[in-house]
Amino acid sequence: MTLIRKNFDVLIIGAGGAGLNAAVQLAGADLRVAVVSKVFPTRSHTVAAQGGVNAALGNVDEDKWHWHMFDTVKGSDYLGDQDAIEFMCREAIPTVYELEHNGVPFSRLDNGRIYQRPFGGQSRHFGKEQATRTCAAADRTGHAILHTLYQQNLKARSHFFTEYFAIDLLQDQEGGVTGALVMDISSGEPMVLNARATLLATGGCGQVFRTTSNAHINTGDGMAMALRAGVPLQDMEFFQFHPTGVAGRGMLITEASRGEGGYLINKEGERFMERYAPSAKDLASRDVVARAIVTEVREGRGCGPNGDHVLLKVDHLGEETVARRLPGIRETSKIFVGIDPAFEPIPVYPTAHYVMGGIPSDRFGRVVAPARHGPEEVVPGLYAAGECACVSVHGANRLGGNSLLDILVFGRLSGLDILDYLEEHPRHGQTDSASEEKAMARFQRFDREGDGIPVAELRAELQKVMEDHAGVFRTEEIMQEGLDRMRSIRDRLDEVRLKDRSRTFNTARVEAFELENLVDVGLSIVTSALHRQESRGAHSRPDFPERDDRNWMRHSLYFLEDDRLDYKPVRTRPLSVDSFPPKERVY
Amino acid sequence: MHFEVYRYNPDTDAEPTMQAFDVEVERGMMLRDVLLQIKEKDESFAFRHSCGEGVCGSDGVNVNGSNHLACITPVAEFREPVVIRPFPGRPVIRDLVVDMSDFYAQYQAVDPWLKRKDPVPEQESLQTPEQRARLDGLWECIMCGCCSTSCPSFWWNPDKFLGPQALLTAWRFLADSRDQGGEERLDALDGPYKLFRCHTIMNCVEACPKHLNPTEAIGHIRNLMLKKSV
Amino acid sequence: MNRQLSGFRAWMWQRVSAVYLALYIAYVLLRLVVSPPGDHDALVAWMGGLPMWLATAAFLVMLLLHAWVGVRDVVLDYLKPAPLRLLVLLAVQAFLLACGLWALAVLVKLL
Repeated sequence: MTLIRKNFDVLIIGAGGAGLNAAVQLAGADLRVAVVSKVFPTRSHTVAAQGGVNAALGNVDEDKWHWHMFDTVKGSDYLGDQDAIEFMCREAIPTVYELEHNGVPFSRLDNGRIYQRPFGGQSRHFGKEQATRTCAAADRTGHAILHTLYQQNLKARSHFFTEYFAIDLLQDQEGGVTGALVMDISSGEPMVLNARATLLATGGCGQVFRTTSNAHINTGDGMAMALRAGVPLQDMEFFQFHPTGVAGRGMLITEASRGEGGYLINKEGERFMERYAPSAKDLASRDVVARAIVTEVREGRGCGPNGDHVLLKVDHLGEETVARRLPGIRETSKIFVGIDPAFEPIPVYPTAHYVMGGIPSDRFGRVVAPARHGPEEVVPGLYAAGECACVSVHGANRLGGNSLLDILVFGRLSGLDILDYLEEHPRHGQTDSASEEKAMARFQRFDREGDGIPVAELRAELQKVMEDHAGVFRTEEIMQEGLDRMRSIRDRLDEVRLKDRSRTFNTARVEAFELENLVDVGLSIVTSALHRQESRGAHSRPDFPERDDRNWMRHSLYFLEDDRLDYKPVRTRPLSVDSFPPKERVY
Repeated sequence: MHFEVYRYNPDTDAEPTMQAFDVEVERGMMLRDVLLQIKEKDESFAFRHSCGEGVCGSDGVNVNGSNHLACITPVAEFREPVVIRPFPGRPVIRDLVVDMSDFYAQYQAVDPWLKRKDPVPEQESLQTPEQRARLDGLWECIMCGCCSTSCPSFWWNPDKFLGPQALLTAWRFLADSRDQGGEERLDALDGPYKLFRCHTIMNCVEACPKHLNPTEAIGHIRNLMLKKSV
Repeated sequence: MNRQLSGFRAWMWQRVSAVYLALYIAYVLLRLVVSPPGDHDALVAWMGGLPMWLATAAFLVMLLLHAWVGVRDVVLDYLKPAPLRLLVLLAVQAFLLACGLWALAVLVKLL
């Protein structure tokens, strides 16, 4: 078998919002850009984002990016890097205008401006009244944005490798990234894509949990590739559980349903969020609302025959508002629950939704890792943007409406920074043959013959372990058991065998690669979580109920080698304004 | 319930075959759940799927003769045996996985991006809620392909006829008050094939899992051409 | 003919001709029911009157047009090989031309 090799200037892995927005920036620059995606671009999970994208446009009420920045810092439970947060909140405004100019069909206000709605954790005047900041296209904003970005890439004639699966990064002898080994899913053939710069934009890893709002494809591929390339993952213990997933199924009911005036009730019909967050109520931060729901259910106030969920009421808004502002979740509820939310409340329970952590990167999208001179040395040739990256703008908890913003702002910036990088690095790096052999070994890993554990079985076990041992509430004991079980799963990965070893469109093989990625990412979550002895944002430990700024206001870094952990300080100094010092976080 | 599933792996099979499966169907079960269960029994079974909630558009298949998006199609409504096949008229890559290149090429052929001639304003360009409402029922398309692959005209001329999906997209931009490419879009749509292979058969309307109406969009385009020509 | 009458124009003429054909046929049927011509001479006189003759001549043109667009649509849909398609289209054209000439001969005799 002769290995096909192709040379590009830039390799982008992942064609969601971050990857596509980076590709658009590069397309005009007379470069050879390859966008690799394991699914057709508009199937990427950005398409499922519902509520909207935050930007202090002030179309409804007066608003300032500085207020948006405060909310994001507070929402992050002071673990977010304030330089990156300032940058993102300032860039939000031109970013949304650019989207609009490129054709995103935003909903509109009567004066013709972009429609904005209230979302959780957002305020005006640094924590006072509720802000109206989330720009929306009905409740299908991600769909509107992803399709528009794909269209812009068609216009720019970007080169797509659709239905190619990235196996592993390739590196030179110094660890600089020189491209990736990929597999053409439809033929099963490997291919080497050399590039002067490689951007990981592979999205999240919600599939490590059993009940998740994430798609089948969200398997943390880029994160695991980074780990195997020696790059750590940052803050992986912070995993967001979205308060309102469809009970028992996990698909998302957007926060916009509460932004538009919906609220949660328990079996006594009590609007219980008033007890947990007296002023913001149902629009408190997601971690707060998710914990409240789990607490209500644990204390016996859950609804339904098994008392295992609460109810989300939007029926009082009237059928017209539901139809116009929330058509997507109305359809979802009708199909999956058999109820019409315009007339009946929706049964909801928290669902695994978003990983705040990821590949450590700076605000230019450059991947940074501890090296000789400090904790944040640039890894040559490697960029990361979107959910797979950790800039970190979300810290310990992400605000609704900030994820689309994150992918757009940092996707764009990565693209622009790559342009500079390429000017300074006119030649391709020399791939180390050991690195290529390692990647090829991984590619051939599931060619082994014989009987063994089926992929689906081990994946189901992993998802159950993660759900039981790394959920909303975590104690030492629960997590230690989780870690042991995850290590046992990792050991048994060697016993996984495929019954189907054919080449053409072998989805079983792809799922085996994905399982391997999930195991690495799952271990990074449990390991980081076990060692963080405090409660902060989404990481909630009954055995350490308080936030501990003295010892733990720092980022965790998990390395695959020996499951090692390291830490680095939070960047508390913004670019141009005063720092927001940590305060008690109440909503 | 009893299912019959189209199987074809070019590596091992000379001919496609139908394989029978019995799957225990629970209340509220979607067709995708059935396909996943079949895959658990036989991991060599290939089909595309991802979000599981009808937004990514990956898992369109043909069931008992009509096209459906598997993840939002309850199985209980089908007559047994439930015969599951790949989209009709598309080359089969393996099992339920088909080659959709023609479909994507036709989408690309309608210049699916906003065309502006005026310089963009500093802030957003304005659009009234009424102007924006004209895009409802158009921009929500998820490109699953259920419509175009149920259209006989697309079966006969997939390389020349744009098909309902691309035509719906064409109208989505023609209907956008911000778009300034109307004339050239209409000129590009003329000719015997691109639009005028549509014979208003309306399979597309029936097939669309998002309840969009490509036939109506095509009618709007024709009316606009008529308006421009008189 | 092809170049001029394709795409939107063909579609439009197909509809315009359909409307005309419908109106003409409706009128003729109505007339035949309400006051049927008593014998062949009466029929010839009716059809030979200038307004009716012109309307019939237009009907003939519209009918040929309509048939051509319709048959060509079917051929474009179903016949892929270019030589075969050309052959069939030529045959259809020849047939329609023959029909047209025959009808023209009848019309001329009516005058």
